[in-house]
Amino acid sequence: MSAVTSFADRVRLDGWRATQGRIAKRTGFYLLISVFVIASLFPFYWMVITSLKTSADLSKGTTSLLPAHISFGSYKFDIAETSKTGVNFGQALLNSLIVAASTTVVTVVLAVLAGYALSRTRIRAKALILGFILLTSFFPVLAMVGPLFLAYRHLGLLDNYLALIITYLVYTLPIGTWFLANFFSQIPRQLEEAAVVDGATRLQALRRIILPVAVPGIFTVAILAFILAWNDFAFALSFISSPGKYTAPLAIVALGHSQYQVFYNRIDAAVVLTTLPVALIVIFAQRRIISGLTAGALK
Amino acid sequence: MTTQKPAATAGPALPARPGAGPRPGHARVPRNRQQFNLLAQDRRFGYMLVAPAVIVLLAITVYPLIYNLWNSFHNDVVTSGVPATWAGLANYQRIFTDDLFTPSLLRTLGFTVVSVTIETLIGLGLALALNRAFRGRGLVRAAVFIPWAVPTVVSAQLWKDMFDPQNGFVNYALGLLHLPGAHTTWLAGTWTSWAAILVADAWRNTPFIAIVLLAGLQVIPHDIYEAATVDGASPWQTFRRLTLPLLKPALLVALIFRTLSSFLIFDVVYNMTGGGPGSSTTVLSYLDYQAFLTQFDFGYGGAVSVALVAFALVIAAMYVRVFRIEEAL
Amino acid sequence: MIRKKETTGSAFRGARGTLVLAAVFALAVAGCSSSSSAGSSGGTQVSATAKQTIVFATQGLGSEGTATQAAVKAFEKAYPNIKVDILSLSPVSDVALQQLQQRFIAGSGTPDVITTDVVWPATFARPGWIANLTKFHPDASEFFPGQFASGQYKGQQYAIPWFINAEGLYYRTDLVKTPPTTISELVSDAKAAMSKDKSLKEGLAFEGDKYEGAVTAFQSFGGQLSSTSLANINNPANVAALKLMSDSIHTYHIAPQAVSTWEEGQVQAAWQSGQTPFALNWPYLFQLSEAKGSNLAGKTGWVPFPSASGGAPQASLGGDDLAINAKSTHQAAAWKFIQFLSSTSAQVARAISAGDPPAVQTAYTPALLSAAPYYKQEQVVFKYATPRPVSPVYTEISAQLQTMISSVLSGEETPSAALAATAPTVKQLQQTAG
Repeated sequence: MSAVTSFADRVRLDGWRATQGRIAKRTGFYLLISVFVIASLFPFYWMVITSLKTSADLSKGTTSLLPAHISFGSYKFDIAETSKTGVNFGQALLNSLIVAASTTVVTVVLAVLAGYALSRTRIRAKALILGFILLTSFFPVLAMVGPLFLAYRHLGLLDNYLALIITYLVYTLPIGTWFLANFFSQIPRQLEEAAVVDGATRLQALRRIILPVAVPGIFTVAILAFILAWNDFAFALSFISSPGKYTAPLAIVALGHSQYQVFYNRIDAAVVLTTLPVALIVIFAQRRIISGLTAGALK
Repeated sequence: MTTQKPAATAGPALPARPGAGPRPGHARVPRNRQQFNLLAQDRRFGYMLVAPAVIVLLAITVYPLIYNLWNSFHNDVVTSGVPATWAGLANYQRIFTDDLFTPSLLRTLGFTVVSVTIETLIGLGLALALNRAFRGRGLVRAAVFIPWAVPTVVSAQLWKDMFDPQNGFVNYALGLLHLPGAHTTWLAGTWTSWAAILVADAWRNTPFIAIVLLAGLQVIPHDIYEAATVDGASPWQTFRRLTLPLLKPALLVALIFRTLSSFLIFDVVYNMTGGGPGSSTTVLSYLDYQAFLTQFDFGYGGAVSVALVAFALVIAAMYVRVFRIEEAL
Repeated sequence: MIRKKETTGSAFRGARGTLVLAAVFALAVAGCSSSSSAGSSGGTQVSATAKQTIVFATQGLGSEGTATQAAVKAFEKAYPNIKVDILSLSPVSDVALQQLQQRFIAGSGTPDVITTDVVWPATFARPGWIANLTKFHPDASEFFPGQFASGQYKGQQYAIPWFINAEGLYYRTDLVKTPPTTISELVSDAKAAMSKDKSLKEGLAFEGDKYEGAVTAFQSFGGQLSSTSLANINNPANVAALKLMSDSIHTYHIAPQAVSTWEEGQVQAAWQSGQTPFALNWPYLFQLSEAKGSNLAGKTGWVPFPSASGGAPQASLGGDDLAINAKSTHQAAAWKFIQFLSSTSAQVARAISAGDPPAVQTAYTPALLSAAPYYKQEQVVFKYATPRPVSPVYTEISAQLQTMISSVLSGEETPSAALAATAPTVKQLQQTAG
């Protein structure tokens, strides 16, 4: 940043002409930024106003960038009522929450253990294990659904959240383990060594000494795991068949499957409700997510 | 490799690799029996901690792969009510000769090249813009980043709404501006469908590229630029000769991740076009899904899966080669 | 170095960590499996008189859903020992099919009773998913023969008709004086109406999206899909039917390009908003269209879709059958429920409240016809009801046809090229099914 200001300072000395050019450049720059922001946010705006329209408004087609009336009827319908397809969106949100939260917990536990082992113990074949874990994040999701469908059938796990929680680990564990292995290796060893000298077992040392220090890293992994689990569609589509157990993305699709009339307002109300949690997480934990993502990506 | 040097320069960008301490192979040689026991204990403890994660990942990736391999050599249509029978290479013969697999593969590759190119160019522009200091940068960064965090179903649904002929924005805007195409039914034609899919995909994934590139940009020391300015280098020269080489590692990572996820596109296609019109947007993942869960043909699906995994491995191999994990540890 | 001490963690303590983890998993399993459906396969049969709950999987749409709930209530009153839970299936038939197949493959004992589209029973019967109902001695003479046959596989009865459906052409009696009997009349009537009334957005609405509906529309347009035709679908009648669908969009411009993405819902919306003088759809719309407060009340007519060849028209036969899950342990109670749903009184009640035409012939009572006079017009259409092929691989054949129709409607392929490309695959599918 200092480079930018010092550069700017120098430019300022160059007098009026340069200042004019600078203003033009600035304007161009802010215009460009505005284009990016509008392109990112406008679809959300469209979704929100569509969700606030009544079915009568919708039948008139698009006539304005503003809603004619504001109606929360679609939200009320989505949450309070069960659609003719057997989908209650409030229930679907709850289902998504249960699945994503469970996935997050399991991910954190497994990633902490594996990350600790990979950064702190002298196990053999570390490169192989890390390489394998990384490789699993490249695995084509749709190539997995067939065999896993058959496997879960034998285990009686079809139409069961557990099938989702287990499978979602393929999204969350690779990035979680890599990130935490990294994070742990940056914590000074002296901390736990001191504890072990005091007679604590290594697991105790991990729990009492390392974990408290690693809370920011664990939090990052938890946020990422939650978002990744919240966003899945393909596995839920393949393993869940009861409308009462649909996760939010499945329920959005099911709301679109209305043979008689497509209620864009109700679908978009559901879309808003699904987007809201992740949008809030991004706004409040943006730095963490980016650090997690880029740490996972920049290795 | 050309990437070696910039990687070294941009060293601080890349957080220390896990296990960067003493290498297992180079661990202190145990001097006596007691030390040897301690090392064995340490290892046992380590394996136990790492085992659950590895076992789970083996179960949900390697097991399906083996199952797919087995299935791909069998006729196994669950709905036929007949047990699986040995099929030899028949399923592979099918995927190479039928009129589904090869067209899907070509479509998928075409989409991958186009989407990754466009998203990388825009993402690079976005990253460069966000790398400059300006008021409200944090907010802008959050705003452009939100699309990445929404479910793919949401991005597909949003753009389906935007392109809807009756209640959408796109046709409304075209009509207001008196541009042609205001009455297009986007999802009814091959190229217009692809355009809609591309927009939905780029909208959600360009931020990812931008974020990775931004991380790469932010670790480039500013004094390099000051030196370049003093030397009278034009902005383009600075970008071409300084920024781009230093950005190469981040760019490669972004490219490989995006190439792969683009190649495996499914959610957006499922929700926007269902592979149609006709089969003009049927991509490989969609074909595989149909084989497994609408036709319950696990033999054919297995063969398609093996092909999918092979392609993914090629992309992953590029990644591993470029970053030489084994050397880093 | 102190570092050596670090390795004193014993194997036992490591194992304890793993145990904790196992406990987490076990908890998760316990938490989740309690909500999973009980897959009681191959258990002993529960007698019909025992206290029990059966699950009925059905598409619960609009007034149909309400009618189903009413029927369930009436049944529970008549048989207080049997409780019926409804499991909603997707209203999109392809999705509903997939939901049912996934449950069957999972080996679940529920749902006990399923609603099956007339084209599915053979598909379900071949792998042994639905129970052979011949043991209950269903009475064939009660039903329309074509629909009763849809429930048969290898000479055995696997499904019983619930209600019949046939696709026909809705026309606005205020805009079209006499219903068209030929294709050219249909085209000229549609064009005339469009030029006379500028509020009309199109002349003809039909469902052309890539799904099962496209196949029934194809059949209504004159497509030939009898078991013999499947040996070579590339025949003049099919070329004509496909060309007509395409021409209505690209040549006559009476149907918008958007119909290639429309399903029944969009066709219904177009019809009910009054923007089209003609619409291809199922009988349920008659009741909605003629309902009190509808802007189309008194303006609705319904006829068979005119024949392209000038011969007898075709109306794609639809409708739903009822079947019993082969793994259900409540088959006796399930059969009681099916019998109840196909009783004359239940059929008449559903016909009046939901607009679903009775599958039982004796239900067309004077009482029904006076309560809902439009069933007189509907009977005319049913007369031309043409079944889709009864085949265990029907869904695969249909998938081929859907892709074919979709690529023609979008203008990607010409009708004859698309038929030529699809014919060998369909023939092969038909042959492998035996």
